[in-house]
Amino acid sequence: MHVTTLSLRDFRNYQRLDLQLSPGITLLYGPNAAGKTSVLEALYYLATTRSPRITADRELVRWEAEGEAGVTPFARVAAEVQRLAGRVRLEVIVQRRADEDGQLTNTSTRIVRIEKRPARALDLVGQLRVVLFTPADLTLVDGPPAERRRYLDITLSQIDPHYVRTLAHYQKLVQQRNSLLRSWRERRRPPRAVDDELAYWDQELSAAGGYVLAERLRAVAELNQIAGPLFCAISGGETPLTVTYQPSLELGGLADSGGLAARIGQALRATRREELARGQTLIGPHRDDLAFTVGTVNLGRYGSRGQQRSVTLALKLGEAALMRQRSGDTPVLLLDDLLSELDAERRAHMLEVIQRPGQQTLLTATDLADFSPEFLAASTRLRVEGGRVYPS
Amino acid sequence: MTSRSDNNLIVEPVARLIEEFGKLPGIGPKTASRLTFFLLRAEEEQSRALAEAIQAMREQVTLCTRCFNITVGEICPVCASPTRDQTKICVVEEPLDVLAIERTGAYRGLYHVLHGHIAPLEGTYREDLKIDELLARVRGEPVDEVILATNPNTEGEATAFLLLKDLAPLGVRVTRLSRGLPTGGDLEWADPDTLGSALEGRREL
Ligand SMILES: [Zn+2]
Repeated sequence: MHVTTLSLRDFRNYQRLDLQLSPGITLLYGPNAAGKTSVLEALYYLATTRSPRITADRELVRWEAEGEAGVTPFARVAAEVQRLAGRVRLEVIVQRRADEDGQLTNTSTRIVRIEKRPARALDLVGQLRVVLFTPADLTLVDGPPAERRRYLDITLSQIDPHYVRTLAHYQKLVQQRNSLLRSWRERRRPPRAVDDELAYWDQELSAAGGYVLAERLRAVAELNQIAGPLFCAISGGETPLTVTYQPSLELGGLADSGGLAARIGQALRATRREELARGQTLIGPHRDDLAFTVGTVNLGRYGSRGQQRSVTLALKLGEAALMRQRSGDTPVLLLDDLLSELDAERRAHMLEVIQRPGQQTLLTATDLADFSPEFLAASTRLRVEGGRVYPS
Repeated sequence: MTSRSDNNLIVEPVARLIEEFGKLPGIGPKTASRLTFFLLRAEEEQSRALAEAIQAMREQVTLCTRCFNITVGEICPVCASPTRDQTKICVVEEPLDVLAIERTGAYRGLYHVLHGHIAPLEGTYREDLKIDELLARVRGEPVDEVILATNPNTEGEATAFLLLKDLAPLGVRVTRLSRGLPTGGDLEWADPDTLGSALEGRREL
């Protein structure tokens, strides 16, 4: 798939931007803080309804943006996407909220439209599929487990509409259940009929958790087929990368959603005493992790910087390949200042992938000298400066 | 904006009313002072009528001692009516849900208002709802069917699940509204036709 047009209004430092994008490689270059990354961020936001770099949506609205009479400032991101399944128009508006005195608050509201019709944010996920590479991706290997769960969740959410809904439901259930456990732990309520009160949450958590777990296991199995050999090619070594799903409960070899749901149910009952003592849901997909090993070496703990970089690249390229394999459609690659981080060997692999026919890639760079004349000739170059984009 | 220093300039009775208005949902300090100064300028009669209406509402409106719907007096009109089917109790989350079901015209039984739903995240637990009161009614009244009409969302389902567990040992028939209702929605917003057919298509649990 590829994005044919992107239009921004009061998004980050762009007052207005209307870009026609080519289906191949687009190179956005210019000084730091010029707005290169914001273009990638806008596309990532349309694909996942989240920004990769902030937590509060209101920060997406340009600071100097002025509202109109009676309308608070808002940012608009819209794109037209050409997919195998046809063309689709996507739009998100993030509007800052004001209190009754007209003062802007720290909150915002969001309006999502697909083909000009109002839609829920969850319906937007998967319409446009992207894989983002940023220099911060190394935390995927050496960061906390949440980073690795997020990697799987964002990949699966873009492929499977049922996954994104089930995951959202699951996370809400964990919060409800934790509040219930905490009410007993903090002795705000007598621990009478604990099993009865937990029964509903246990049942729902098991069902949703079983699905999430089964889909993650399936994705990891597929990733091993793809990213394992990719890692050899990237690192020039012989031993493939092995990705292992590390569940927070014993799975007993189960892989189907129903069986896993029953397994989670049993494990919840077995952990009851400890959960009551800790006031937290201790098992389930929200506590799981991934391990990356080559041979017998755990790269998260013992890998060199170079090896960790190779793992990240193999995982990201694996993510793109997995999306292509499942849907038949190639995701858009967003490469933020990445090539400068890679050595010659890894850069060659990256360039090979992005030069494949039918692969749309947007990449940012500060220095054109990083690129060969052939690469520059094959790409559309756009100079970005001070929130404006100039063709070059 | 009224800040503390402003309040020092405003005489105490006025500041007090601004403060009280400001505690109401959806009313900030600016609206609170606007309302107060409006009343200050208006005919005295207007303030008196408002004060009396609030006081009367507080003094006269109570919860029905049987079904816990809002009413005037001890027992609500539904509970007091000899023509209502005394063998059926429809359990709802809020008084507004009773109105929604009455509007369908499809139900002639009694009600029981829980005053909330199970939502630990919001700090609402079993004991915060009128659940024990419901169980006492099922034990003491000639009830043969309890219809669980809690909302078709996670919290409503959690509440229905717990009620079913409590009601099952009492040997009463327990039913749930059919899934015609939009999931995640609220009963009070469902249109009368949809709600009516959800009631008629209720299923045994
Ligand atoms: Zn009553």
